[in-house]
Amino acid sequence: MINALTILFCLTLIYLAVTTRLSAYVLILVLQGALVAGVHMMAFFSDFEWSHVAVAGGVLLVRTALIPAYIAKIIRDLDMGRGDSTRRYHPGFLVQMAAVVMGSFLVSHQLSRLTAVNIVPLGAAIAGILGGGLLIVRRRLLLAHVVAFLIIENGLFLLGIGVQAEMPWTIELAGLLDLFVLVFLMGIAMNQLRTHFPEGKGDDLTALRE
Amino acid sequence: MITIFALLALPLLASALAAWKRSARLGQRVTLLAGVAHLAASLYCLVTRDNPFPAGSWLAVDPLGAFFLTILSHTFVLVTLYAPGFLQRMEGPGYDRSKRLFYPALNFYLLANTLVLVVQQFALLWVAMELTTFSLVPLMYFYRTKESLEAVWKYLFLVSVGLVFLFVGILFLGLSARGVVDYTAFIVGRMTEAAPHLNPLWLKASFLFVLVGLSAKIGLAPMHPGDIDATSNSPAPVAALMAGSLRSTAVAVLLRFYQVVAQTEVRPFAQRMLIFAGLFSLAVAAIYMWRSRNYKRLLAYSSVEHLGITALGVGIGGVALLGAFLHLLFNSLGKVSLFFMAGNIHCAYGTRKIEPITGLTRRLPWSGFVWALAFFYIVGTPPFGIFFSELFVLKGMIHGAHWLPLALFLALLMVIFIGMSRAVLRMLQAPSAAPQPEGGAIERFHLSHALGLYAMAVSVPLALFQPAALFDTLRVILAAFGVKL
Repeated sequence: MINALTILFCLTLIYLAVTTRLSAYVLILVLQGALVAGVHMMAFFSDFEWSHVAVAGGVLLVRTALIPAYIAKIIRDLDMGRGDSTRRYHPGFLVQMAAVVMGSFLVSHQLSRLTAVNIVPLGAAIAGILGGGLLIVRRRLLLAHVVAFLIIENGLFLLGIGVQAEMPWTIELAGLLDLFVLVFLMGIAMNQLRTHFPEGKGDDLTALRE
Repeated sequence: MITIFALLALPLLASALAAWKRSARLGQRVTLLAGVAHLAASLYCLVTRDNPFPAGSWLAVDPLGAFFLTILSHTFVLVTLYAPGFLQRMEGPGYDRSKRLFYPALNFYLLANTLVLVVQQFALLWVAMELTTFSLVPLMYFYRTKESLEAVWKYLFLVSVGLVFLFVGILFLGLSARGVVDYTAFIVGRMTEAAPHLNPLWLKASFLFVLVGLSAKIGLAPMHPGDIDATSNSPAPVAALMAGSLRSTAVAVLLRFYQVVAQTEVRPFAQRMLIFAGLFSLAVAAIYMWRSRNYKRLLAYSSVEHLGITALGVGIGGVALLGAFLHLLFNSLGKVSLFFMAGNIHCAYGTRKIEPITGLTRRLPWSGFVWALAFFYIVGTPPFGIFFSELFVLKGMIHGAHWLPLALFLALLMVIFIGMSRAVLRMLQAPSAAPQPEGGAIERFHLSHALGLYAMAVSVPLALFQPAALFDTLRVILAAFGVKL
């Protein structure tokens, strides 16, 4: 079951590479949030504790509901339209993302020879982290960068499961709170940026260059 | 109990009170009270080496923490004393909101940094590091201009990506401890005790990720750009806080990891990484300080240089490690002085560009004088503290026969000295093309000058007389890294 969920996570990354619609970005965040919460529950299912339910609930609330809703609100408030107009669909991105996903599973397989890890979740985690990084490079819209950062964070969450490093639940929840505050601050900054840089592109941020 | 109250509860209460009452005068008073109490508590912990927290808890003030807490609270108190004068000069309704947020955010900054320094659990450390970033955002966005907004965005983004690397490093640290220690606890002391049995491969990977991740916060190249933009576009007191304390706090986190690594066979690898990071930062600073046309950016790059020297000192080890600790302390004092004067200059000239600023010694005689003195301080002129800390780093390199780093270190310091003096001396001495503004009164000696002079002067007895209260604690800290002097 964990493997199925993490493979679905990788498929969301592939979807990310073929879409430029902002609503699709939000959908991907919702899906990924639900998937990582599911993986967390499954990973610790045999060793059931209420703290696992609390963390999974926190993940669902923050990553599946609060953050995507907030991103959707930003899109509405800033009247950003339907698509990421800064970049058209390009098949090269799909090829790169597919290579990242496959490469990540190969790396995960190699790492499994060194220590006990969950190969599939670890591969998906590495793919999430690298895929998010790739999105930052390929897309110029600031909102896409925030989405990419959240995908990296999702990958990071899976990484903890992949390497079987269970954190105390209080820290997991504190981390979620941190993430929410960070996205909130980024949202405020983006709102303000819109008044100075109407297109909301990363390329516009050149006022500080010497 | 009083110590814990002064370290954690008072900044929280001061932040809440300043936010609730919205009075600048009250905000300043409670902030100063919180800062002074924090400084007293930090000095108490530094001198007595007492841990006020219950043994075995996730919070503790060890000698390393006490040293960095002292740097933090000392810088904080100086900034709190400087801030009222600065806020008074910021007139106009555009600043009202920023002024209201200033003291609550300042106290929250103190709380967040204190948490980083007292937390002994690696994962919680990561959470606290995030808090320091959040606390800075309202302070950095004080001017509410396009530039400050861009700086905030870049800082938030780059530091957050850096903290992702840090988290990966923490997970790898956990992997290295699998089967050795109950790594879910992730306590610094327990990890250090178990260090010789940790898996070296994962430990190497962990340290690499931690170093790269924290570089964004420390301001080490190549992760420095966000920090440069943020420091150079923040108001003077905030820039002084960042250069004087935030970077030191991030170094303290790096040292927590290094404390574990130093007990293992991975130590030489970590040292090589630190030496490389230090020299690379020095090289980047040298290049950009020649090119810089903005004096606040120049100071920000000077921080890259000095944090590079610190990393180099930690990497070299031995007496250079002592040099690194002293360097952090003395750099903090010098940067406070420089940024306070930069604030005065910005206020008088209305620009951060170097070119229009001429005849500083005539137009702003006191600020010009302190600025000149601070320049000599920061480039390592005796009898100021930085001269001695750099000497310790140099001595460590000679003892360890690190000839190539030594040659590069000296060459880069020379390039930086020339690059910085070009800009600073021009500002001080070049004849003014524009006439002196009419009615402009001669600048009088005021508190900011006294604070700048005090910050530099205090380094002299600290370096020359090496007070036992500080140096005994430093010896204990060094022993934790396997260095005996």
